[in-house]
Amino acid sequence: MNLATRERLFGFRHAFDSPVTLWITIAVIAALLIAALIIWLLRAAGRSSDKLHDELVKRVVSWAVMTPLLLGPVLLGAAWTILAVAILSILCYREFARATGFFRHRSLSIVVVLGIIATTFAIADHWYGFFVAVPPLTMVLLAMVAILRDEPRGYTQRVSLGVISFLLFGHCLGHLGYMANDADFRPIVMLIILTVELNDVFAYITGKTFGHRKITPQTSPNKTLGGAVGALVLTTTLVSTVGHFVFAGSGVDTPAKLIGLGLIVSVAGQFGDLMVSSIKRDIGIKDMGVTIPGHGGLLDRFDSMLLVAPAVFHYIAFFRGFGIDQPARIFTGG
Amino acid sequence: MEEWRFEPAHDFGLSAKQRRLSLRREVGLESAISCFLWRSITRVYLAIAHRLKIRGRENLPANAPFILVANHASHLDAIILGGILPLRFVGAVFPIAAGDTFFTKRASSIFATAFMNALPIWRKNCGAHSLGDLRERLLKGACVYILFPEGTRTRTGEMAPFKPGLGRLVARTNIPIVPCYLDGTFAALPASRTVPRWKKISARIGKPLLFANTTNDRAGWQSLAATVEEAVRALAT
Repeated sequence: MNLATRERLFGFRHAFDSPVTLWITIAVIAALLIAALIIWLLRAAGRSSDKLHDELVKRVVSWAVMTPLLLGPVLLGAAWTILAVAILSILCYREFARATGFFRHRSLSIVVVLGIIATTFAIADHWYGFFVAVPPLTMVLLAMVAILRDEPRGYTQRVSLGVISFLLFGHCLGHLGYMANDADFRPIVMLIILTVELNDVFAYITGKTFGHRKITPQTSPNKTLGGAVGALVLTTTLVSTVGHFVFAGSGVDTPAKLIGLGLIVSVAGQFGDLMVSSIKRDIGIKDMGVTIPGHGGLLDRFDSMLLVAPAVFHYIAFFRGFGIDQPARIFTGG
Repeated sequence: MEEWRFEPAHDFGLSAKQRRLSLRREVGLESAISCFLWRSITRVYLAIAHRLKIRGRENLPANAPFILVANHASHLDAIILGGILPLRFVGAVFPIAAGDTFFTKRASSIFATAFMNALPIWRKNCGAHSLGDLRERLLKGACVYILFPEGTRTRTGEMAPFKPGLGRLVARTNIPIVPCYLDGTFAALPASRTVPRWKKISARIGKPLLFANTTNDRAGWQSLAATVEEAVRALAT
């Protein structure tokens, strides 16, 4: 492992090398403080009921806990970013497995977790070949292990749930971790996390303000056309503006490509949200868990990221690549 | 193709604390791993420190559900019985533990659930309700209970009479009760001590008993408890 790689993995002193990283960190902390202040002012002015106040406080406290957990690893270094994504993958998988009942197939569950661990290793090793080899290999293992019970009834469902679990939480989410192999990963990863989360907020706010026509009454009755379009416009504007500084001088830095990136974040984000809603409707549950007070499960919060991570990864990779100047196969050599 | 059926975890949507106290708790990979590690460590400990001998292993049923019942003299008892059961039952074995001893403090309830996979029963007001829940869970399938029908550890070394609550779990079902006698546990770690002595321990497992024809009422429960108690006493000699 050469010095540059070690610095990328563990060099927390480089946290604010890019001014964008610093801006985003400051903006997020400021936003949290302002939110807390607004809640306090609403309370002081007697404009919020007890119920609303409790709900708002719960949400802001949840964000205050989640923000350092999300931004901390990215600032600390690539190794921590990759580890944080791996933990998120496993926790999201756990929620999904408990909600669908897939966790009862213990041997298959072990295969999915092994797949997530193998993916994490491929990412940390910066070995793209293995990263794309893990999904088919996991599929092979799932198909084989599921036979061992000698119970054809439900075989397709067992294997399918295993494949979906691994692809969504191991592979798709893994793309977010893989971005940490880029020398300049901090602003990119932060931009994506920030805008994906804000995309939800924009959809919520504009939906409340302008939303009338429901777009998916069966899947998620609260989604409106106004919210969807509002989020699309605001997120695309934000992504392309901040993206201009993040990708300055690279192949992505043209107005058309930056707008394309923004559209991908917003569209894939909203569909990710609707995807998890569909899964919940299909199973017949309201929330995916109780991990985050005021939000529900982890999956209720990070649903949007699932589809954004691979879409954005391959879009950016097409124009500028990820970590192409970084040494590959750090541990395995070759 | 058949319609997909989803069956969320039976304790789905409960907070971590509620899950620990729930009789519906279902075990995921993480508890199975921690229980497996604890089982491996304690098996080595019991083999070295107590030279644990087991007789009658062939009497254990091949498949869940069943109840393993034994005399109760020490905190080692549930650990010993958990280690006797084959590896494939890890995560499906639930020692039924006293709520007021193991589940009132946070640390001990985390330990009891994460490493022992224990389910709480409240001795003061457990009543028909929680025993009914336990019976239902047993009937649904793949689980094994470890139960000490004396209700508490012996303070004298003598085995106390079995409580009839055991009967509520299995009367009029085909679920076998496997009697087991633990010898040497009172000498090794009586209720009055906190640190075990290095004494020999042996476990004897008897033939499974079935109570499909026992009536599910107080008289039936009492006769069932007496029969099981008899079987455990018979193993003592």
